[in-house]
Amino acid sequence: MSAALRSVNGEIQVDMRSFNTFSEIKNQLEGKLQRIDNYALGTLVTLDLGDKHLSSKQVREIEDILLDHGMHLRELRSNTPPGEEEGDDYPFGDMPGYSDTTLICRHLRSGQKVFCEGNLVILGDINPGAEVVAGGNIVVMGSLRGLAHAGAFGDETAIISAYRLSPTQLRIANHITRPPDGEVIVVSTPELARIRAGKVVIEKLKI
Amino acid sequence: MKSRVIVITSGKGGVGKTTTTANLGTALAMMDKKVVMIDTDIGLRNLDVVMGLENRIVFDIVDVVNGNCKLKQALIKDKRFDGLYLLPAAQTKDKTAVSPHQMKNLTNELRKDFDYILVDCPAGIEQGFKNAVAGADNAIVVATPEISSVRDADRIIGMLEASGLNNARLIINRLRSKMVKRGDMMDINDILDILSIELLGVVPEDESIVVSTNRGEPAVMETASRAGGAYRRIARRITGEKVPMLSVDEENVNFVDRFRRILKLAR
Repeated sequence: MSAALRSVNGEIQVDMRSFNTFSEIKNQLEGKLQRIDNYALGTLVTLDLGDKHLSSKQVREIEDILLDHGMHLRELRSNTPPGEEEGDDYPFGDMPGYSDTTLICRHLRSGQKVFCEGNLVILGDINPGAEVVAGGNIVVMGSLRGLAHAGAFGDETAIISAYRLSPTQLRIANHITRPPDGEVIVVSTPELARIRAGKVVIEKLKI
Repeated sequence: MKSRVIVITSGKGGVGKTTTTANLGTALAMMDKKVVMIDTDIGLRNLDVVMGLENRIVFDIVDVVNGNCKLKQALIKDKRFDGLYLLPAAQTKDKTAVSPHQMKNLTNELRKDFDYILVDCPAGIEQGFKNAVAGADNAIVVATPEISSVRDADRIIGMLEASGLNNARLIINRLRSKMVKRGDMMDINDILDILSIELLGVVPEDESIVVSTNRGEPAVMETASRAGGAYRRIARRITGEKVPMLSVDEENVNFVDRFRRILKLAR
């Protein structure tokens, strides 16, 4: 028994309905990809899981496997509705767990750039013209006035939070947003940006 | 007293680095300090013009670092104050004519004879900037209340920190209190919020600066000049004296008072 693999409009669809455990799915996927390794880079992949549901950590593992072969996860199809994520009202409840976190204890000024593969915590401001890029989440214990890119490897569950969130631009995975033109919004509370329903939304940080 | 090398920089051009250097140098000399001002803007020298010393230049900084003359020969003594000297930049070369290492040796040589060595930095972040900061102990960042100037100042502060100068202080130049009150200009707190460094002083916009620059006489020598007064207070702060900051309003009151005084004299 093996997974059916189809190519539709330059995208790949993998039928995983006949597999029950996560390790089976993983092994099958890796085996399949090995054989089509010379497939074009950046190909989008859809996985049909039948009536199984994956945790966000498992989804990320799948994403990592695909990324190793230069592909991106487009969609996970599942018959069962996703269960409520645990602790949804706690803002960091569904925060993906990256093992490495970098701590920066200074202001980032114009022209300065920080990149790290995991989470990034900045004890200071990020001024206009400065850039922070992280594979995971970004937490700024100060004013974020520059550019921040969380989930730089495509993790759409990554969040950006700041004590004062007034960035020139926000990026999460491959979504790019900027504040609206001509409107000056003054908010004097900590805020959090994340992707909800395919859009970057900014909400009050309630802890 | 231990001598101090202070670099005056801004990133952006035209915000008043040279004017600030000339005025602070003169103000410190008026307080009987021994001061030398170094113009590192090789190829676009201005400090000599602002000081009114252009016609006395024989040797310049490039001659000194290349060994064409002795350091003492290139130093130009100011025509008004005994303790004030200028080391002019070369006009016919470019910034690569001097290296940061040579600059460091030069400032160390000058430390023996002077209390304050003010280095007038060129605009930009390239070799000229690297030369200027090479031998410095302290930095003064000049910014005007404009977004572009503040942005460049922020970049420069970052670069100063990268080269080990963590104690930069800020001069806000050309502040127009009326525009700030109307909300048309960034106010001091907006700027300090972004740059988060110590404020050394605020210099108001003043037409007398244009006149004094053209005449080659720094504004600090004129007691009536508002900008000159601000520079005198900044110079006292540099020497370590505690001089309270005047609020924007107080600067205004001073102006109104002086206007009244002038009216009385006219009668």
